[in-house]
Amino acid sequence: MIEREVTIKNRAGLHTRPAATLVKLAAQFKSDFFINKDGFEINGKSIIGVMTLAAEQGAEMILRFSGEDENDAMAAVVELFERGFDEQ
Amino acid sequence: MALEDLKEIVKKSITVGFLFESNKERLKWTSLNGDIGFSKEITNRNIHRPGLALAGYVELFSFDRVQIFGNTEIQYLQHLSFEDRIKAFETIFRFNVPCLVVTNNNPLDKELIGIATNHGISLLQSPFETTKLTYFLGDFLDDQFAPQSVVHGSFIDVYGVGILLVGRSGIGKSEIALDLVERGHRLVADDVVMVTRKGEGILIGAGTDVVKHFMEIRGLGFIDIRSIFGIRAIRFQKRVEVVVELLDWQPDGEFTRTGLDHGHISVLGVEIPHIKLPIFPGKNITVIAEVIALDYLLRHYGYDAAKEFASRLDATIASKSRGKRVIDYFEHDFE
Repeated sequence: MIEREVTIKNRAGLHTRPAATLVKLAAQFKSDFFINKDGFEINGKSIIGVMTLAAEQGAEMILRFSGEDENDAMAAVVELFERGFDEQ
Repeated sequence: MALEDLKEIVKKSITVGFLFESNKERLKWTSLNGDIGFSKEITNRNIHRPGLALAGYVELFSFDRVQIFGNTEIQYLQHLSFEDRIKAFETIFRFNVPCLVVTNNNPLDKELIGIATNHGISLLQSPFETTKLTYFLGDFLDDQFAPQSVVHGSFIDVYGVGILLVGRSGIGKSEIALDLVERGHRLVADDVVMVTRKGEGILIGAGTDVVKHFMEIRGLGFIDIRSIFGIRAIRFQKRVEVVVELLDWQPDGEFTRTGLDHGHISVLGVEIPHIKLPIFPGKNITVIAEVIALDYLLRHYGYDAAKEFASRLDATIASKSRGKRVIDYFEHDFE
């Protein structure tokens, strides 16, 4: 199990489009993926779960991966957060 | 995250303002000193009647709780001289109490209200009698400070039994929930279920305010159960009564064959019947979910099919009768 803290960079926050991109990316990996924000933890492969976070710009969250391909999964997902979901 | 080791989230505090606004309708209370002390925080779920503290004994005074003045406290204050009354009041407000509630709409001298205001402490007044107010307020505070967590699963009321479907992402929880709704059952929440431990041994599940009764079906996208199926297809909260875990079928998997060995799963410290269900093509999980609900009701009403069957076998073995047909002799094909 590995984890990493990330911050939402884009102005609009984790809205519907980036949420869909995120779960699609996460679904490509076998590892379990959870997002913890303010103590509540949701399944990062569930779009409804990700949207429940209603994460705004600057929001901090902890990404947790566990499974055989956890390192690849974390690298890919963290990179998506770093890119600000390709938004401003 | 496995259901057994959910992380409990417990609120550390609520503000007096939040307490006041949330209970305005229920407790019909008003504030005697405006919004003074509304930003103060309540960190303790218990309430306290400060009778002894009023009388001057402040050792062990639970000052960090919401304080209640019932008829006893008010009558005690009134039998004191004005000076002693002020003194008694000052004794209490020297401590950092979160707020004070006066029941039965009992009046307070304006000098006493002044003392509370000077200390920045909110004074609330309710027409309810103390027992009733204590009950409502206690219930509200219990709920606010109850341990909570989020479960990834689908939660449906099936024949009045709260069934929580869990299992890996993509195993088909939402599809089963949808099928159950189609058959007349009620969706509580899909994908994100907020569970709260209410009292000892009761787990309540509810949706979140963002998601309400939206659902995602793979290949279809979001659908709104309430709009499609109407008000009969949803409910806001339900006690979690059975956890049904959907598992991929494995030939060497361990699944019960008799139902005598159903286990329990501990969710936020509440023990809940736990059924492990292997799924494979052609298996109608919706019907099985309905049967689980009905069987749960039967057990609740005192009939356990597995035990009944086992004791029937025991009786047959004891009587040494063997493999008889259910009816000894059929004359013709009618009963």
